[in-house]
Amino acid sequence: MTQAIVKKNHLLSYLLILVFLALFGLWIKGIDIETARQQAGVIIFSLGFVILSAYVLAQIVKSFKLPMLTGYIFAGIIAGPYISGFLTIEMVERLSLIDDLALSFIALMAGGELRLALIARQGKSIMLSIIFVTGLVIGLVVVCILLVGHHFNVTSGFNFVSLLVFGILTGVICVARSPSSAIAVIKECDAKGPFTGMVLAVTIVTDVLIIIIFTITVSLSKILMQGGDVIQLTEISSLMFEIIASLIVGVVLGQAISYYINRVRKDFLLFLLFIAFAVARLSMAFNHMMEVQYDISLHLEPLLICMSAGFFVQNFSRFGTYFLESLEKMSLPIYALFFSIAGASLNFDSLILCWPLAIIVVAARMIGLFSGSWLAGAISNDPPVFNRNAWMTYVTQAGVSIGLAQIAARQFPEIGMHLNTVILAIIAINQIIGPITFKLALNNVGESDVSSIRN
Amino acid sequence: MKIFFAFLLIIFLSFSGYHLSFRKFGIPLFARTFYLTGLEFLFLGLLLGPQFFNILDVYTCSVLAPVTALLLGWIGMLFGFQFEISKLRRFPRIDFIAGLLEGLLTLVVVFGGIYFTLPMILEISDYMRIVMSVVLASAAACTAQTGLAMLSVRQIGNNQSIVKILRYLSSIDGLVAMLALMPVFMFLPRLSGMTATRFLIEYDFLVAIVSFAGILILYNLFLVYRREQSELNLIIIGMVIFISGFSSAMNFSPLLSNFFVGVCLVNLTGEKEKIYTTLVSIEKPVYLLLLVFLGSAWYLQNFWAIAIAAGYCLLRLLGKMIGGLSISFLGPRMKAYPPTLGLGLVGQGGLPFAILFDFQQGFQSEVVDAVVGIALISIIISDVMSPTLVGRLLKKGDE
Repeated sequence: MTQAIVKKNHLLSYLLILVFLALFGLWIKGIDIETARQQAGVIIFSLGFVILSAYVLAQIVKSFKLPMLTGYIFAGIIAGPYISGFLTIEMVERLSLIDDLALSFIALMAGGELRLALIARQGKSIMLSIIFVTGLVIGLVVVCILLVGHHFNVTSGFNFVSLLVFGILTGVICVARSPSSAIAVIKECDAKGPFTGMVLAVTIVTDVLIIIIFTITVSLSKILMQGGDVIQLTEISSLMFEIIASLIVGVVLGQAISYYINRVRKDFLLFLLFIAFAVARLSMAFNHMMEVQYDISLHLEPLLICMSAGFFVQNFSRFGTYFLESLEKMSLPIYALFFSIAGASLNFDSLILCWPLAIIVVAARMIGLFSGSWLAGAISNDPPVFNRNAWMTYVTQAGVSIGLAQIAARQFPEIGMHLNTVILAIIAINQIIGPITFKLALNNVGESDVSSIRN
Repeated sequence: MKIFFAFLLIIFLSFSGYHLSFRKFGIPLFARTFYLTGLEFLFLGLLLGPQFFNILDVYTCSVLAPVTALLLGWIGMLFGFQFEISKLRRFPRIDFIAGLLEGLLTLVVVFGGIYFTLPMILEISDYMRIVMSVVLASAAACTAQTGLAMLSVRQIGNNQSIVKILRYLSSIDGLVAMLALMPVFMFLPRLSGMTATRFLIEYDFLVAIVSFAGILILYNLFLVYRREQSELNLIIIGMVIFISGFSSAMNFSPLLSNFFVGVCLVNLTGEKEKIYTTLVSIEKPVYLLLLVFLGSAWYLQNFWAIAIAAGYCLLRLLGKMIGGLSISFLGPRMKAYPPTLGLGLVGQGGLPFAILFDFQQGFQSEVVDAVVGIALISIIISDVMSPTLVGRLLKKGDE
């Protein structure tokens, strides 16, 4: 049997599976829900439906050389509230528990992929890339919004200061990336090498730095919008403390993981599941307790804790390889679940409302990403192929950006709603395009398995 | 926030309990029986439940309903995987018949006893009287051989043929329980006011056949090409969730649906070993989590509950004794076993917990909670008594 026929048969079987899944879905949607048990049944059925259809769609897009991540996201989009409505917004919210668990798991993996030796070797390149990309993305997005902002309904009513603040906040949020998407594409492509290490390091470090930059920007924007002349240093110092505290908790957790591997080892995956869940939920409980009982605004970041723990196990213990291999065993269901829910959560109402402005900002962001990463690479004497392709790996955006947009919306009610809408639209575009460009870049550089086979 | 804490605590204790219960035995002798079966998790659930800490309150449990359906589905599929025809054929057919007979006789004895005594204890409708009698009889029919783990190697070595038949019977009689449980879920639509006959004949039967066929085709479409282990993990997890959800939404039982799918898969697919490996890999944590959820909804009402449980336990013992005795009438080979073989079939194991939990989830009411609570006490009594009774049986064999 030729390869083409095999591929055709595979596709046919996947289409048949989708037909069956859709029939079951229609069946369930048609029944009268009378009891709480049935209601719970529908939610759990939807969860199974999304996992299976995400897997199938991922296999289909994979045969077209696209990343599986795109398939997961599309499955979520199709099943989500804006297309088929199979997953309602309430259902997506009820699945947030599982979503958080998956994210902690992915963050552990992302931290575990960061090698200290590689960061030390490419430190200059990483640092310059972060500086140039951050500066150019913010600058270009601000200029772009100031130039065209008045032509769009969303921003036409703003005065200059409001538009400037809108531009600055959008620019800063545009710098944020998606480490979870990055690690998922890297794992899928089985990518290894200096380029992969560099882009992963840039993505993770940028995601940490952007929180600090955002806090400073919010303080500056408040001065611009509401008057005043002093930057709130307490906010910035409190933020620094939060980051350091999260990193320390992560190190302690990393130590605990290493100890467990050393002394027990058995059922390590279950232990990791517990760790992921504990981090996600205990940090939330801790933050709540500090605020309510002691009136202290100290927020431990679960994502940062997990990344730091993974980084510790990889670089300061003998169990890095075992740690990563164990994580990879569970990675497929976790990715399918997490990214399909992410797809279902994408806000298409926002995209419909302001897609022209969103496209312009996305384009400005991409130009910023390209020029910043190219410039950094050229100064660091990185291979030209790295400089040409690095920007494509920085396109993906997800959770952090949404979180920052929501904070900004609360801090600046005058422009908040519009800002949130535009950011959600930008994220929707970047999250769809990002994984595709990421895989393309890895192939172009020759660090993915696919490339090595082809070569 | 309570939901998250509750779930976190459950996962952690299940995990630690898994190690404590099944791997290390650094505990006093008298407590081994208790810990061997993981029964402490039932009490942990009780502690976390509304009667004590109220961490696993009614709302939390309802939000975590998808997790419980997954647990039931997982146990059901795993049990279905025990019925691989080619492996069952390795044993003489008479052994299989003996297993069915023993299970069936226990079922009949317990069903009869409960059906006639239940109206004296509870005021319930005729439908619920039948349903409860069948569920309790099904749970009673199940047997597990955890008690054998407490015996010495010498004791087991001297009685190899008895130990072998006890293990075989224990793996078969659960089938009787599952088949008996099937009609129970046909009563569910009736409870929502539909005509029983119409539902049973025109609707339920057709729905069951069509959906089951659809699920099997879907599963086979996934398995038609060879998958890597990681892909298979995803497919199994997805399908168990899918089937459990579908069953719950259609008023079926997640336990039963997954059980039947498991039976079909183990006999039809070439990937059975890989699927079984995946299912077994988290069997114990799944079982312990189930105990915690069951414990959280456990209502210990008064002293009479213990007395009734003791009565149920004695009824079950009677059923097992009759079942064990009847086996010796099956042929010359079976005459070799002692007539008190039923003493070795007292331990109940994990499946009855799943049956009771499935029942509790499907027929939510205070009466059901009370009955399940009594059944739980009975299971504890049976499991604690089991090693002593098995020891006595094997001692007779030694003589």
